[in-house]
Amino acid sequence: MELTSSRGALWGLRLFFVLLVAFLYLPLLVLVMFSFNSGDVSFPLQGFTFSWYQKFATNPALLSALQRSAIVATFSSIVAVALGVLASYALVRRRFRGKSAFSALVFSPLVIPYLVFGIALLVLFTAFDKFLTATTGTYFGLGLHSIIIGHVVVAIPYTILTIMPLLERLSVSLEEAAWDLGASPWKTFWRVSFPLLFPALLSAFLIAFTLSFDEFAIASFLAGTEPTWPVFLFAQLRVPSQLPQLVAVSSVILTVSIVAVVAAEVGRRVSEKKYGNLLGS
Amino acid sequence: MTRGEPGSGRATAGILSGPLLWLLLFFILPVLFVAAYSVGALHVLPTDPNVITFDSWSRFLGGRHSIYLGLFWKSVRISLIVSITVVVLSYPIGYFLALCVRKRKYVLLLVIIAPFLTSYLLRVLAWKVILGSNGVVNSLLYQLHIRDPEHPIEWLIYSQFAVMLVLAYVWIPFVALPIFVSLDNLDRSLLEAAGDLGASRWRTFLRVTFPLSRPGLAAAFVFVFVPTIGEFVTPLLVGGTNGYLFGNAIQDRFTAALDWQSGSVLALFLLGVVAILMAVFGRFVNVRNVQA
Repeated sequence: MELTSSRGALWGLRLFFVLLVAFLYLPLLVLVMFSFNSGDVSFPLQGFTFSWYQKFATNPALLSALQRSAIVATFSSIVAVALGVLASYALVRRRFRGKSAFSALVFSPLVIPYLVFGIALLVLFTAFDKFLTATTGTYFGLGLHSIIIGHVVVAIPYTILTIMPLLERLSVSLEEAAWDLGASPWKTFWRVSFPLLFPALLSAFLIAFTLSFDEFAIASFLAGTEPTWPVFLFAQLRVPSQLPQLVAVSSVILTVSIVAVVAAEVGRRVSEKKYGNLLGS
Repeated sequence: MTRGEPGSGRATAGILSGPLLWLLLFFILPVLFVAAYSVGALHVLPTDPNVITFDSWSRFLGGRHSIYLGLFWKSVRISLIVSITVVVLSYPIGYFLALCVRKRKYVLLLVIIAPFLTSYLLRVLAWKVILGSNGVVNSLLYQLHIRDPEHPIEWLIYSQFAVMLVLAYVWIPFVALPIFVSLDNLDRSLLEAAGDLGASRWRTFLRVTFPLSRPGLAAAFVFVFVPTIGEFVTPLLVGGTNGYLFGNAIQDRFTAALDWQSGSVLALFLLGVVAILMAVFGRFVNVRNVQA
């Protein structure tokens, strides 16, 4: 006998699953559909066109916003992965006083409202600039560097959550063997741990990258005169004539990010299976 | 031996210092600055009062002018409705994937989660396009002559309904995950035992499965409630004046109103509420559940 559901209940659950998937994906499909519509974003559909795609490909403000987001996401995820590796090593491999406090600290960016965090960084940077102006006459100002700093903070817990499970299963004896053979900690990391951790590092990088590329709340307070893609998108939403173009870019980004996410997840599972015999003891 | 053992204190301090410094400087310190700002111990803008004062705090907490407190309770109400709806809708999905599907359950789980990993703003934009008075739903109704273009369905957009619909849409994929994990880790032999002892499936569900999945439910609830209570983007895009929430008030203090002191009070208050929620519900939230 099937333990968890009768035949009727099972069909009900299946139907519900299909309906929910439809609810989740239909709005996204609608977005993609209208990106090829030659009229504006409403029924009746006018005709098939690529012109919105051509328009955005030649819109310099839009392209530079995308470029800024790419820069911010690249730098912030590299730093976040580096700090995430260090924190994961500390949490998995080391014993030290205040470990639980450290753990609470590194995971707390998961629950801080980004609105509050963005504001807090705005206050910090503005106060710091005021101090600098008063003492040295220079200032940093807001911009991409401030967004990068903020995105590193919120990405750190996600990188740790991605790296820690693999590190836990990675046998200490491999590192100890390298150490016994005279390798420095630095060399041990680059020659032994890094190649084994690579799948986790790559997927941590991808997660941090997508998080940063899409992040609006923090960036909106810190962008100054350099809007990243979400900040630019948000500002342009008030201009109805821009909407079809924005829908077109959005469709591209949506498709790319779904493909990237699925690829990262599949890659992670495949490599975990492949290295399975090297992991654990 | 001259080189430090890998487990030595100095090596540990070296590993710790990077993440620790970054988070102290750019996470803890900014929050402390906001706290200082809220009582006037710090002033940056020329309009800021120059004395230490708890004025903003008493103005906020004192009942007479507490439009903010009213907005806060409105946000709480909307977050509650959204969280409960989302948990109720996600539970059957988690149950189905964890207990009824044998092959490809992780593939199906990824199908549910994937939308969450795409841009938040784009998902809200999709609904703005759908719900607008000249949007997909209304223009389709005009086209089919069900509705006259002079009379679009008004409440579809710029309403609390729109805010709740979009927030639920945004958070369902995320919430299915902790529910799935708690049900997937369930010891199946308990279900077999209940069946062997003559319990019906329904009774087994009510007396065994459901009670065991309660921690997952609590975690799922927190996962939606905490982020939605400080929400300001969705109300800005689809909320209109009716959907104006506490988060919008905070943002307005810092942008349009340039009243950073009141804004700091509101932001800190929100942070305190989240901290209390985490202290109460935190034990249900295994942070590892965030990862599939």
